[in-house]
Amino acid sequence: MLTRTMLVPIVLAMSVSVAAAQGKRADLDGVWILANSATIEGVKLTPAGEAARAKYDHVKDDPDMRCIPTTITRVMHTPSPPLEIRQRPDHIEINYEFMDVHRRVPLKPGLAAKDAPYAVEKWPHLGRSVAHYEGETLVIETVDAGAGVFDTLGMPGLYQSTQMRTVERWTADGNRMRVVITHTDPVYYQQPFTVTFTHQKLPDGEILPWDCVPAEAGYDRFKKPAVK
Amino acid sequence: MIRTLAAVSVSLVLGATALVAHHSVSVNFDTTKAFDVTGVVKEVKIRNPHSQIVLDVTSADGTVKEWFIEWNDRNAMVRRKVPFERLKVGEKITVNVNPNRTENNVGFFRTATLSDGFVLRDCGFTAFREAVANDKDITC
Repeated sequence: MLTRTMLVPIVLAMSVSVAAAQGKRADLDGVWILANSATIEGVKLTPAGEAARAKYDHVKDDPDMRCIPTTITRVMHTPSPPLEIRQRPDHIEINYEFMDVHRRVPLKPGLAAKDAPYAVEKWPHLGRSVAHYEGETLVIETVDAGAGVFDTLGMPGLYQSTQMRTVERWTADGNRMRVVITHTDPVYYQQPFTVTFTHQKLPDGEILPWDCVPAEAGYDRFKKPAVK
Repeated sequence: MIRTLAAVSVSLVLGATALVAHHSVSVNFDTTKAFDVTGVVKEVKIRNPHSQIVLDVTSADGTVKEWFIEWNDRNAMVRRKVPFERLKVGEKITVNVNPNRTENNVGFFRTATLSDGFVLRDCGFTAFREAVANDKDITC
């Protein structure tokens, strides 16, 4: 049986643990839209990366044309649809309007990304993620993403392997938010590269359903002429 | 080898600049060209990720050919208060389009002149985010 004397240090330890996970939370909560085009730096392909890019055919190989979100970076490249972020006590909730991607990232000290649940239940290929704070910066690490096309918009034709590891650093300054994603994948890239997104707050914004239908998203929608 | 890798890196950055606006617009449509297509609205589908208007276009010899007009996603146009509900099936309209690069009956929507003279347009995302940044309502 636990005595009061025994409970005090346990409760204290739990409090410290939660505080470490939560850190000093940045003012990230809200709905955001892209403020300008993303900045891409440091992409240097390996021979495998070059070969994969040379074979890429945007008509056949783009997962978005089948209503499948390619990667989180690709989702964030889409200009118009906003994203919503909510910092919960034990997890981060990020809702991307594009392709209805609803991401849940645990805030759990000691949990390795490889042991975390898939962050988007509907789309396991978007990987397993875990979050923590470094000062007022929210940091999200993701591993175990599916191999395949990496990006179809900012950098069309880039691929990723199952070794892809991303680290997102989210910071806010008033009505501006900056997300820097560092990508490391030795199979297709000679060195880590970064993609930086700058967002602005969308006052009273809300995430609307995307409801993508594959038959209406793909290039088959360009039907052949029908002459009467 | 180093020079080759540097060239790859530069081309990726340039490609990103050219394509980041929207993959399907610049890849599939020639945005340096535009012309009018006049026809009767057969179908209007305002949806994500691409809206579509189908026109019945009658040529000089009397044959009727379907034209497929691609447009922006529904959610963006709702936020930008584009009055797309003014498009009515059965109405004769003139749509100014960027031509598709491969199909000769497909174009990307720029403006539509309706039968009452109203010109329907979408100001686009850049205008929207500037309006948000300046705390103003968007008006096209």
